[in-house]
Amino acid sequence: MTETRALRVAHLYPELLNLYGDSGNILVLRKRMEWRGIACDVREVHVGEHPSLGDVDIAFIGGGSDREQRIVCDYLLEVRADLAAFVEDWGVLGAVCGGYQLLGHSYLMGDEEVRGLSLVDLYTDRASPRLIGNIAVESRISPQPIVGYENHAGRTHLGSGVEALGRVLHGHGNDGMSGEEGCLYKNVVGTYVHGPLLPKNPAVADYLISRALDRRYGSSLLEPLDDTAELAANQVMFERLMADGDKGR
Amino acid sequence: MGLRSAVASGAGRLVHWGLSAVLHRNASQLPGRIAMAIDPCIIEHLRAKASRGSIVVCGTNGKTTTTNVVAAALEVEGNRVLCNRAGANMAAGVASALLPGPSADWAVLEADELSTVHILPQLRPTYLVLLNLFRDQLDRAGEIDNVQDTLVAALATSPSTTLLVCGDDPLSVGVALRAQEQGTRVLAFGIGEDLDLAPDRVPEARFCQVCGTELAYEYRSYAQLGKFTCPNCGFHRLALDFVATSVHVDRKGVAFELGRALRGTSTELVKADFGGVYMVYNLLAAGAAVSLAGVDPESFQQALDDYRPDNGRLQHFEVEGREVVLNLAKNPTGFNQNITLLLDDDRPKAVFLVINDDYNDGRDISWIWDVDFERMAGIPDRLQVIAGGRRANDVQVRLKYAGIDARIADSVEGALGQISDLPAERPLYVLTNYSALWLAKKELERMGERHD
Repeated sequence: MTETRALRVAHLYPELLNLYGDSGNILVLRKRMEWRGIACDVREVHVGEHPSLGDVDIAFIGGGSDREQRIVCDYLLEVRADLAAFVEDWGVLGAVCGGYQLLGHSYLMGDEEVRGLSLVDLYTDRASPRLIGNIAVESRISPQPIVGYENHAGRTHLGSGVEALGRVLHGHGNDGMSGEEGCLYKNVVGTYVHGPLLPKNPAVADYLISRALDRRYGSSLLEPLDDTAELAANQVMFERLMADGDKGR
Repeated sequence: MGLRSAVASGAGRLVHWGLSAVLHRNASQLPGRIAMAIDPCIIEHLRAKASRGSIVVCGTNGKTTTTNVVAAALEVEGNRVLCNRAGANMAAGVASALLPGPSADWAVLEADELSTVHILPQLRPTYLVLLNLFRDQLDRAGEIDNVQDTLVAALATSPSTTLLVCGDDPLSVGVALRAQEQGTRVLAFGIGEDLDLAPDRVPEARFCQVCGTELAYEYRSYAQLGKFTCPNCGFHRLALDFVATSVHVDRKGVAFELGRALRGTSTELVKADFGGVYMVYNLLAAGAAVSLAGVDPESFQQALDDYRPDNGRLQHFEVEGREVVLNLAKNPTGFNQNITLLLDDDRPKAVFLVINDDYNDGRDISWIWDVDFERMAGIPDRLQVIAGGRRANDVQVRLKYAGIDARIADSVEGALGQISDLPAERPLYVLTNYSALWLAKKELERMGERHD
């Protein structure tokens, strides 16, 4: 391939949705493209701006506090139709934690039901206790278990036609009951594995990149990278969760 | 004191004696826990022991150093001080600190922010010092809103307490304004000039605490601390009762003029041989608190001259001819400040970054992605980086994406082994979060000599 490939990433409202090291996800997408010679243009969409998704390949939305999530939701509701068109046209969308909840029809802020973006057929209510801790998920988009950290009061329920991101091997997942975690719909990946989802789960990062390449160039081929450090971090945590059930010291 | 609290106090003191004098063990938690189990109101009954009053210090970063400096300055003037010097800062640690001896002049107590709601109703301190609020341990503390609500609620239970607050920190000022509405007396400290320092990459608390508009800054000193105003509602940096000017900061020390609005234009020079802009705030807060407690400026400076930290905060050691600098760094702001300190040291060097995820550290280490490790990249010949701790692999991945090729070591000794081929003039900086700090300190005390 002689033509230089290039992808555009829109990072939605990083100044509000940056609670748990969310910028790590964008950094990982960028580096994993650059290491393969794929030009990566990251645009931050700030408060007061609406995202224009016409030329965007990957949109990313992170997690924030309830208050900040509400502000973002209000902005995004104004461009809901554009977002829905992007998703239906197989645009790649990664949504983490609070961002994941926004994908659905509604979520609860305290006792108040807040209207969501209805991009994916799911909704979120809440219950006690908060579901907090390290999590491991078996998913078809990653040969390794997806490992990370979850911290949410929300209980997310998937519509009947929506596939889960995967099956919980350790931790709580969508609602702490179903054994399911996250959602997969077209090229949307939603998950409670918050903050730096992608660094320790390079296959998830590459899934997003390859889906975006496929959509723009009709070819999803990705050269392999040396992921020794990433996979070691993944494996160390996974083995710890399986061995001692993550009992803290 | 009633029978129940006398029994509780006696039992606690017996345990304290048994642990420290007989078993030579740390007595910073258990005596208080036992006394509290017998008498849940033991802090209330012990408060009268501090005949002149008490000072509680809280805030995300800098509590232990500030508490120790305040206690030392009071002691210079001959006061007998009860103090949780080792930083056991929940209610049991505070109760333990109040147990020893029949009486005292002052109690100076570091308090975990969330524990203030248990401590303040009983202790009703003369002063509460609020240093700063940063994101830290979200899994345990919840979001910062929760920490703020807790502090406001704690102050409501102790109306006689004066809040001495960092007027430069929008998050702390948010607490102060709400406390003021419920009747708390508020005094503020801050830096009165632009230090021309670069802002952090991931700024905290960019939005107005009252109306949510993005704050405007005339200048920032670090993180979200600076001279801020809200362009919409007028929320602003507080008028400063204690102000630092002519500030000089480098890695070896700080110096500034401490001025008091209450005393007109006179200022006193404060200087110390521990560095970092955050140290200006810690010492300014300490200077303000001891000034309110009636300590002379000369005694405060004397305390700083004599102060030798023994708690792993910026401690210097020498191991086989190599300088080793140990410091605590447990959240993005703390790490960013430490990176500034080590980059200010223009010698080639190595750094050992140790991250654990025990309960005391916070189990969730997502925040390492908000630290500007990128600032250490691009000089591998002059800055060698080693990762350690229970989450060494995560640190290694973070560094990889910052453009830094780091190896892993399982101890300070291991890290020193990896750099044994480097000239001995190159120092090793050891930056650790909470639970790793004591292990590193113990190792360094075993292997080397302290250098004050």
